[in-house]
Amino acid sequence: MKIALFPPNSLILADLVERRGHEPLVIQKEIRKRVTDVEIDSPPLNITEEEPIKGLKYAAIEVPSGVRGRMAIFGPLIDEADAAIIMEDAPFGFGCIGCARTNELTMFCLRKRGIPLLELKYPTTRDETVEVVNKINTFLDSLEEKNG
Amino acid sequence: MSQENLKTDLKDKSGVKPEDSKKLDSSEAGNTDVKSKVTRMIILGPSANISQTELVRKLHMMELPLTVKSTCYGAVINGEEAYVRQAVEKIRKIDSSNIFTKERGFPPGDPRRCRAKRGAAREGYHQLEKEFELLDFVSEALEHPRKVSLEKPKKVPVDVFREVCKEKGKECKK
Repeated sequence: MKIALFPPNSLILADLVERRGHEPLVIQKEIRKRVTDVEIDSPPLNITEEEPIKGLKYAAIEVPSGVRGRMAIFGPLIDEADAAIIMEDAPFGFGCIGCARTNELTMFCLRKRGIPLLELKYPTTRDETVEVVNKINTFLDSLEEKNG
Repeated sequence: MSQENLKTDLKDKSGVKPEDSKKLDSSEAGNTDVKSKVTRMIILGPSANISQTELVRKLHMMELPLTVKSTCYGAVINGEEAYVRQAVEKIRKIDSSNIFTKERGFPPGDPRRCRAKRGAAREGYHQLEKEFELLDFVSEALEHPRKVSLEKPKKVPVDVFREVCKEKGKECKK
C-alpha cells in the first residue's frame, strides 16, 4: 500500500514503512522529478511558475503562492495515498517543509480523504519513541490484514 | 572477468527483472539520463556494529554500478533503482535494526546542495540530525517489538468523574 507521511521527509517514518513492505510517499521523490529535469539548471529550482497554478486544486487563489507552490508538490502524494501517518509537533521548521500554513493544509487534506490514518505526537523520550514505533508497526500490520 | 561477463553475472545474482535489465542495458549504453537514477541515504544508527568506512567498503565490494559517497552519517548511493534497491537490501542484512535508509531528491555532490560548494549544513541535514537522536530508541523498539492498542483512551463520563471526585474528597477529609 502507498502510505502518505507527515512530515513527508521523515527518516524514521519512511524507514519503518519500508520495513513493513509498504511504499512510503515521500517528498524526495517529487523533488527528484523537479531537480533532475534538464530544463531547470539554476537555483531556485524546485518550484516553477507552473506549480502555484497546479496548487489551485488544493488551495484558493487568495492563499499565498508559496503555499500553493508547496501544495503542488504535496498534493499528488495526498491524492495517491491509500493510508497516512501524521506525526505532529515534529521539528520540521527546516528546509522545504518550513511553512506552517502548508503543513496545516496538508494535514487537513489527509484527514479529509477518509483513508486509514494514524496520528501521533513526535516523540522526545525513550518511552515515547518505543511506543510510537510499536504503534506504527501495529498500524501497518493492521493495513495488511485488511487487504489480505 | 570481462565487463560483459560481469554484467551478466550481476544480473543473474541480483534477481533483477528482465524488463529492468533492458532498461539498465539501454542506460549503460551511453544514455546518461539522470531522471532514471535514484539516490538513497544510508544512515547508521548510534549503536550500529559497522562504521562508515566499512559500510562504504561493503557497498563497493558488491560491484554494482552505483555511485557511492561516504558521509558523516553513513553513505549516499546513486544509480538505477533496481541496483540501489538491491544494495539497500543487502546492506540492511548486516545490522537490520541499526541501518536506516531514506530517499534523497538531489544526486550526491550536486552543487545546489553539496556543502563543498555552498558552505554550511545542507538543507535537510538539520532534520536528520534531530531524528538521529531518536534512532537508538527506534532500534531498541525494532529489536523488541510488541503489539499495542491504537484506540484513543475514551473520555471519562461526567457522572463517573463526579463520583471519583467525591470519593477522593472523602479520603482527603479522613
